[in-house]
Amino acid sequence: MAGTSDPHASAFSAAELEFLAEDEMIEIVPNLRMDALNFISGDFGPFRPQIPTQAPLWLAVALKKRGKCTIRAPEWMSVDKLTQVLEAERDSDKFQPLPFHYVEISRLLFDHAQGDIPDTYMVRSLIEDIKDVRFHKIGKGLESISGGGTFALKLKNLSAMEANIVRPFVTRALETFYKLSSSDMIQETDNAPNRQQTANRGPRRQLKDR
Amino acid sequence: MANYYDIGDILAEEELVPTVFQYGANGVGLFDSSDDADKFHFHDLFLARSKTREEIAADAAHVDLRSRSPYFYELGCKIALLIRDRTIGPFLLVAFQTRYRDVLVKAHALTLTMTPKYLTLLTNEEIKLYEAGQSSIAAFKKWRMGGPRFQVAPVLGRKRKLT
Repeated sequence: MAGTSDPHASAFSAAELEFLAEDEMIEIVPNLRMDALNFISGDFGPFRPQIPTQAPLWLAVALKKRGKCTIRAPEWMSVDKLTQVLEAERDSDKFQPLPFHYVEISRLLFDHAQGDIPDTYMVRSLIEDIKDVRFHKIGKGLESISGGGTFALKLKNLSAMEANIVRPFVTRALETFYKLSSSDMIQETDNAPNRQQTANRGPRRQLKDR
Repeated sequence: MANYYDIGDILAEEELVPTVFQYGANGVGLFDSSDDADKFHFHDLFLARSKTREEIAADAAHVDLRSRSPYFYELGCKIALLIRDRTIGPFLLVAFQTRYRDVLVKAHALTLTMTPKYLTLLTNEEIKLYEAGQSSIAAFKKWRMGGPRFQVAPVLGRKRKLT
């Protein structure tokens, strides 16, 4: 949790990220008849049997557990699309655009709606592979930051879970680099009256280009 | 002053006290030839051509910095300010850069291979870095395994004695 006293804790626990991911909309096919549900976050429904509707993921999972609907897999979760993404990930150094919460959404769907996803095993293994490739890329990128001038990182198209995993490590590493490089600057001002050197924060380096 | 409350900083300063005292006492008579074994040890950490520096130049990742001092980097920063040796800063930076890569790889190894010997080489700051990476990977794996979404808070488990 954000407020724990453990300094090593990420800003979010994995369960919290999952909770945030459940706000994403997904398409369901209800088999019940229900009037519209009015929540603070919005209105969902009305639900009519066999008519597809949009609903947030938490609602979809709840209905699915009670056997009141079937879930339609999101369109990015098809074997073709995922194979495309996997190839692109392997070929390029950048991260491919994927839904921000793809890790959490896929885990939720596999846990509760396995029957509703065509080619479950294929999809599951593709997503695992994509995750591994991206993680490996993150590692490569992190290795390349040197202490010289890096004070901030930019990783485009990173997903929520991936960012959360590296967050504590990267923030600490950057902090230590900063501390070690700034001690150099302190020495400079001690010995030389040259003020301009302290303003130099090093070149901006972007890990992943646009 | 931002470091005033930082426990790591306080402890590092604690470490520094005995050696600084000796250095200061000897620094008064700078060329005092009193053969102080402790002063030697302290200087050896950062002296320009010291054994430590050579080891780091050779293979930074495996140098046992912890036996020199668990607060290697912090000590180095403070000493750099004290004795105005301008080569210490870049030296520390280079050492950290090379070692950081190793810590990165080991901390995020998705398989839980035990590397207990390696941990004894790391200074405190590096260990914190390692643990940060390790704990977030472990939490992620645990989440993936599944398990109950809601768990009873440990506070509720205790039985109170009704006296």
